[in-house]
Amino acid sequence: MHTQPSVKLKPCWWDALVAAVVLLLAVGAFWGFYGFHSGSGNLTAVITHRGEEVERVALASLSAEETITVEGTYTVNIVLAPDGVSVSSATCPTQDCVHTGKITRAGQSIVCLPEQVIVQLVGAKSDVDAVLG
Amino acid sequence: MKVSTQKLALCAVLTALALGLSYMENLFPISLLIPLPGIKLGLANIVTVFALYELGVWPALSILVARCLLGAVFAGNASALIFSLMGGVLAMLAMILLKRFKKLSIFGVSSGGAAAHNIGQIGAAAITLGSTAAVGYLPVLLIVALFTGAITGFVTALLFRAMKNVRLTHS
Repeated sequence: MHTQPSVKLKPCWWDALVAAVVLLLAVGAFWGFYGFHSGSGNLTAVITHRGEEVERVALASLSAEETITVEGTYTVNIVLAPDGVSVSSATCPTQDCVHTGKITRAGQSIVCLPEQVIVQLVGAKSDVDAVLG
Repeated sequence: MKVSTQKLALCAVLTALALGLSYMENLFPISLLIPLPGIKLGLANIVTVFALYELGVWPALSILVARCLLGAVFAGNASALIFSLMGGVLAMLAMILLKRFKKLSIFGVSSGGAAAHNIGQIGAAAITLGSTAAVGYLPVLLIVALFTGAITGFVTALLFRAMKNVRLTHS
């Protein structure tokens, strides 16, 4: 006995509901993450390698581009510039970190999974809450 | 649970097909088309959806786990296993749930599965990295999942139409 599974093959409006829920999740994740990480001004690049922080650089303190190399199984070259951070080259097989391009805003990060490198931009905590006048 | 030889053979063939598809999609890097890191079409999901509808939950889950294990062995990359397993199992759970809503078509089920797959992978990334940094990438992945899920859903719908008069199992 073979029963053809009851499967709807044509898209319908109920599918749009699934899409809407996924979109809501995306928007929620966006606000939850970038809202939380938002810090204006003074961007600081934090480089983590295999769970340990190896470098913390305030981008505003840079006058020119600076390259930091993280070495392990693979080599990851990270370029720090006053306006953002990118991975210029890496010897990993996936190259996802290089394809991410330049990150320029607080909360953004470049992740290299094979070498477990995270480059994250954080908004530096300011000593004052607000400057008036 | 008694498993007929025919069903076992069918599961084995589908596992091989899923493995072949996930290897094949590396040959056509979609990242050239959409310049975002870590984007995949998820062609192996076609097999998962097909197995879920045609054979049921347990055969589909077995095919999925076998595909992930063998994929990790062939790629020689044990750390990739947690990614494919967490993504795959979460996608499977989402699709089992979505499939219960009879009003949803294969497009909705497949898209929901693709989205869940990405949530699972970000979860795996958070575990391996010990950091929530990757969560910032989730919104992009979820939106892309809507499209890749619809594409795999479309292909699976074609497959079902083509298989309409084919008897896969007798029991």
